[in-house]
Amino acid sequence: MKGRLTFFIVLAVLTAFPLGANILYSSFYVSLLTRIFIYALIVVGFDLLAGYTGMISYGHALFFGTGAYLTGMILKHWTPWFWPPLLLTVLASAVVAYIIGYLSIRTREIYFVFLTFAFSQFFFVTANTLEFVGASNGLSGVPKPIIFPGLNLSGENSFYYFTLVCLIAGYLLARLITRSAFGRVMVGVRENEERTKFLGYDTRKTILRVFVVSGIYGGLAGALLAAFNSFVSPNLYHPAISGEIIMMALLGGMGTLIGPMIGSGLVIILGDILSSWLAESWMMILGAIFAAVILFSPGGVMAIGRRIGERLRKGRDHGHP
Amino acid sequence: MDLSLILTNLLYGVTIGSALILIASGLSLTFGVMGVLNFAHGGLCMLGAYFGYTLVQVTGNFWLAMILAPLIVAGIGILMESFTIRPLYGLNPLYQLLLTVGLAMIIANAVLLFWGGDQLAITLPVYFKGYFHFWGVDYPRFRLFVLLFSAAIAVVLWITISRTKWGIVIRAGMHDLETVNAFGINIYRVFTIVFAIGAGLAALAGVIIGSMRAINPEMDFELLTSALLVVVIGGMGSFRGAVVGSLLLGITDAFGAQFFTGAAKFSVWVLMVVVLLFRPEGLIKED
Repeated sequence: MKGRLTFFIVLAVLTAFPLGANILYSSFYVSLLTRIFIYALIVVGFDLLAGYTGMISYGHALFFGTGAYLTGMILKHWTPWFWPPLLLTVLASAVVAYIIGYLSIRTREIYFVFLTFAFSQFFFVTANTLEFVGASNGLSGVPKPIIFPGLNLSGENSFYYFTLVCLIAGYLLARLITRSAFGRVMVGVRENEERTKFLGYDTRKTILRVFVVSGIYGGLAGALLAAFNSFVSPNLYHPAISGEIIMMALLGGMGTLIGPMIGSGLVIILGDILSSWLAESWMMILGAIFAAVILFSPGGVMAIGRRIGERLRKGRDHGHP
Repeated sequence: MDLSLILTNLLYGVTIGSALILIASGLSLTFGVMGVLNFAHGGLCMLGAYFGYTLVQVTGNFWLAMILAPLIVAGIGILMESFTIRPLYGLNPLYQLLLTVGLAMIIANAVLLFWGGDQLAITLPVYFKGYFHFWGVDYPRFRLFVLLFSAAIAVVLWITISRTKWGIVIRAGMHDLETVNAFGINIYRVFTIVFAIGAGLAALAGVIIGSMRAINPEMDFELLTSALLVVVIGGMGSFRGAVVGSLLLGITDAFGAQFFTGAAKFSVWVLMVVVLLFRPEGLIKED
């Protein structure tokens, strides 16, 4: 009950947020939040795979890039409508995820991390070489897409609301998945794959399905990013982006859906503040924070929050016997 | 395709491959002994190249760079291992891996901060300039040196692992840590030393590679990718696998660049996928 209340309060605040732009704060924050929503979407998808089934992919930026390039190319050369590229992105991400997932999930743990890394490097090299997607210059001049007749996403606010809706839909779907029977099998794979297998579940198929779902989340986030930035860079495939995705999930707390979304916000806001102080070396500080979280609080922000909550509750119990 | 072209590519591939052995064997060794897949390994290699560059700039002595740069980076490796990786032994190995991802970011940005983003090149001594000519092949002198030097290091490494008491401890550590510990050997000291050797080898390769091509802050992930490809193709945690994988990768890359100009890098990925499909555990499995 309390969780639902918090959810609606956060939702109300986020819905009202653009109304205060240019009055209470600069409209820059609207676009900052939009960027957070986009990253949160891919990170929630990543968390389904890494947090719930325990398979850490170090190539998740691959889906970002796939969705972004596909959408960028379609919007630029074919149609200004957003639906065809979104639909095709879902299909393409699913196919790509199926192939890469099929090859990668023959392995586990560290080997899996490496294979996903290797595949994303392959895409990175490809995007940097292929002339028709702009090679290392990337794809610029991607037009703002139209979603309904008369409504295109050129305005900051319209894009904000569209991504917010996508994120909420993504979150609710992820919640549905993790709370279903299938979600319990996912956790079973993470906790003890052997036992789950003995119980009669095809764990490989489970992981492959989650991988595909996770890839679709990433592809859609990439599609949004391409339209939002009006630009697609081969650096979307860079391992640093995959690292950032892992970092967001871990910082927030893997295996919870809310945590990774908070983590996306933290990393992007932190990056924004730090980069204005330290120019390019902000990633160094972020790397150090990341290392510190792993060393001192592997559960991320959610675990810290839970610990504080427990202590408060205990304190209250002592105060009122 | 005539013989001289084949020979040129073959020599080029073997040269690159032999430098790769130094990187990949360090990566494979730390993985085999400690179970840590070090994602900062490419960063350590890049640090070697940059330290090598500065040392040559300052002292004008290439050999000093070849000795000091690996020592400095080995020292950094010791610090990394004792302060960040050691506290995580016994936890899920993925935590160590993720930690090294953070370390890789720190290294990459430190390089950017101290040396800037421009391309740099290590100046070679005069006697390394010029070519050997035979059978219509122009083979740069420095490449021959790289080939012989890396091969020598690899042989020393192999003898150390297979013939010395140290090697026995290392190999035993790969199989059964607890027994090694029970024999009164401080396994954590072994870990530190192995990690330092891995870092030093990576840095040595960094100086060598930095003398053959441009140095830039993007090279860390490139080198890490190559080393990881080698390890996957050759077999994780196997020294022989690292050697076979390195040479195979170097040669494939050289011939690939010859045949498919423009899509030069694709051939190695094709190699990886083929190996994965038929032998997911790599070509050589250490028993």
